[in-house]
Amino acid sequence: MEKAIEVINLHKYFGKIKALNGLSFTVDPGEIYGLIGPNGAGKTTALRILATLIRPTSGSARIFGLDVEREANKVRRIIGYLPEEAGAYRNLSGTEYLKFIANFYFRNKREIKEAVYEAEEISGLGERLRDKIKTYSKGMIRRLLIARTLMIKPKLAILDEPTSGIDIIHAYHIRRIIKNYAKNYKVTILLSSHNMFEVEFLCTRIAFINKGRILVEGSPEEIKTRYEARDLEEAFMEVARSA
Amino acid sequence: MPNALGNLIRKEAKDMLRDPKILLSMILMPLLMFPIMGAAISLSTSTIKEATRSVAMAIMKIDEGTISNQLISSFKALNISLIEVKPSPVEEAIQNLRQTNITTLIIIPKGFTENITSGLKGELRVYSILRSISLSEVAKASVVNVPISIYERTLVRRAIAQAFPDRDPENVLDPVDVKNFVIFKGKLLNVSPQLLQGIFMSQSFGFPMVIMLLLISAMQIAATSISIEKEEKTLETLLTLPVGRISILAGKLAGSTIVAAAGAAASLIGINFYVASIFSFMPSTSIDLAEVGLQLSPLAYLLLGLTMFVAIISALALAICIAVYSENVREAQSLVSPLSLLVMLPSVILMFADIEALPVFLQVVLYLIPYTHVVLASKAAFMENYAVMLRSISYITMFTILILYVAARIFMTEKVVTARFSWRRKR
Ligand SMILES: Nc1ncnc2c1ncn2[C@@H]1O[C@H](COP(=O)(O)OP(=O)(O)OP(=O)(O)O)[C@@H](O)[C@H]1O
Ligand SMILES: [Mg+2]
Repeated sequence: MEKAIEVINLHKYFGKIKALNGLSFTVDPGEIYGLIGPNGAGKTTALRILATLIRPTSGSARIFGLDVEREANKVRRIIGYLPEEAGAYRNLSGTEYLKFIANFYFRNKREIKEAVYEAEEISGLGERLRDKIKTYSKGMIRRLLIARTLMIKPKLAILDEPTSGIDIIHAYHIRRIIKNYAKNYKVTILLSSHNMFEVEFLCTRIAFINKGRILVEGSPEEIKTRYEARDLEEAFMEVARSA
Repeated sequence: MPNALGNLIRKEAKDMLRDPKILLSMILMPLLMFPIMGAAISLSTSTIKEATRSVAMAIMKIDEGTISNQLISSFKALNISLIEVKPSPVEEAIQNLRQTNITTLIIIPKGFTENITSGLKGELRVYSILRSISLSEVAKASVVNVPISIYERTLVRRAIAQAFPDRDPENVLDPVDVKNFVIFKGKLLNVSPQLLQGIFMSQSFGFPMVIMLLLISAMQIAATSISIEKEEKTLETLLTLPVGRISILAGKLAGSTIVAAAGAAASLIGINFYVASIFSFMPSTSIDLAEVGLQLSPLAYLLLGLTMFVAIISALALAICIAVYSENVREAQSLVSPLSLLVMLPSVILMFADIEALPVFLQVVLYLIPYTHVVLASKAAFMENYAVMLRSISYITMFTILILYVAARIFMTEKVVTARFSWRRKR
């Protein structure tokens, strides 16, 4: 079966800084795959390479068989990327912003309308979508961005810390949106997070990465059993200690 | 998908034109600034006019002769409010006048009439009391010169009439009448070279000024348009959308052009008000610009438009190339501001001098700066010197293509995401 993501021996240097050091993993279609790890582990770098924003120094990555470097344009048609720190055009209204994005993915008016309607539902922002984005709170912007990432029904959604900096109520909604969406549309999701509860709740498989490479990989249950830990947090403290 | 480009341009224009900062600095400021400046100037000039109209003078007649009396009546004939004061020491008279609103004291010393009638110079002493060094005070002080010279001319004519009773005094005073003709662009014109130069100057000042404003604001807009994407963290999303990087660049260029054009239109409307309010109290030159040949031919218009177009595109692209290295709008604008030297230097120098008249070194430097050629093309447009215009266009176009290539390269690589400006050199 064709892999949704196939990352082989990725290295990435920023000048002298080594951000990725032989990162490899594969993700099957329909999986929700989570990257966790300390600050500076290379999570964002890996996601950015998959999102065609930056190029690896060496190694290769494929998304549904498409090479992220050589076939970047085709990759961009099938992914939706939510950056770690992201904003939206402040002087547009929420709806205008959604229309702007939908225009790139759909050709006819009906499809665009449907996507925007769907996003309006996902975001749960209701009437506030008519207001300028500059009047939104951080949580509202994040929900808008999640909605625009998912409304295009990407084959792969890449979400960099989808709930970072968000209060528990907004975060609760965002997690549920992601989970439902993955279930209903069978999209593949690759996400990064610092929240153990979140990865356990969402992910079918997780990878613990540190200094640009994977230390442990498996389903949350597998990892907990392997380290005889009560929860993921404990398991990862164990991994970090032995690393 | 051409639809994608349209979508991008719409978004650029919408997002920027709705931005209060951009709206204020690019559209509202020029729209209001120039008319306000014009209004301020016309207000102050009309204040001066008002002030000079109400000037009151004092005259102290020590000489008792006929010419002194004629002088006073000639002042009165001109409706000048004149107060006669009794002969007294100057200091005392001035002390007294300082209590009043009288600003000028004319003293006719003893022997004034006698000197003039016997063919010597008569002497008048004029004391001006300045209450400040404002333009209007100085203008008030010089009002007195007009009636004095009018009376002087009366005396001269009278003397001539006595000496040559059968001649018109005007012909004696001004025996040669010079009629000016100018051959300009092969046409015979009935004006003096000075007058033509005056008009030409206003054109050669005006165009470089407008070009300068337009290019500098275009650069600032383009720098803002890219750095705001970084500051607001929208760039990464934009770059992962299924749209070519060239389209994204083109969208930025076109969006910035639209905003710059709106800004330019606002500036032009503003400047128009400004010029109108300044010229409203200047004597109008009664020559037809079209007749003099100072109006542009359609071809010159076309070429000038083309020049401006490529120049603006290169300025935008240049600003984008540099602004990519910034992290926020403020930083982008300060990184781009040195670029405005490239525009200001040629505009300002060429306002005052022809390029051929400059030292060779400076000529070379100027010729290398692409924006020099915009100014040269605008001067050449009036002379219908199409060869120079074409040369300018080719040079700017070459430069534009080079810069566009560099900008495209930056947009194709990850530099657009990761580039950071740093004073430290890479180790
Ligand atoms: N543009 C860049 N220029 C230089 N170094 C960079 C750049 N981006 C990332 N790095 C470096 O690469 C390393 C990995 O960074 P990355 O952002 O991928 O970590 P992360 O796992 O996402 O961390 P966090 O949990 O804090 O988001 C870090 O050491 C970082 O300093
Ligand atoms: Mg990160």
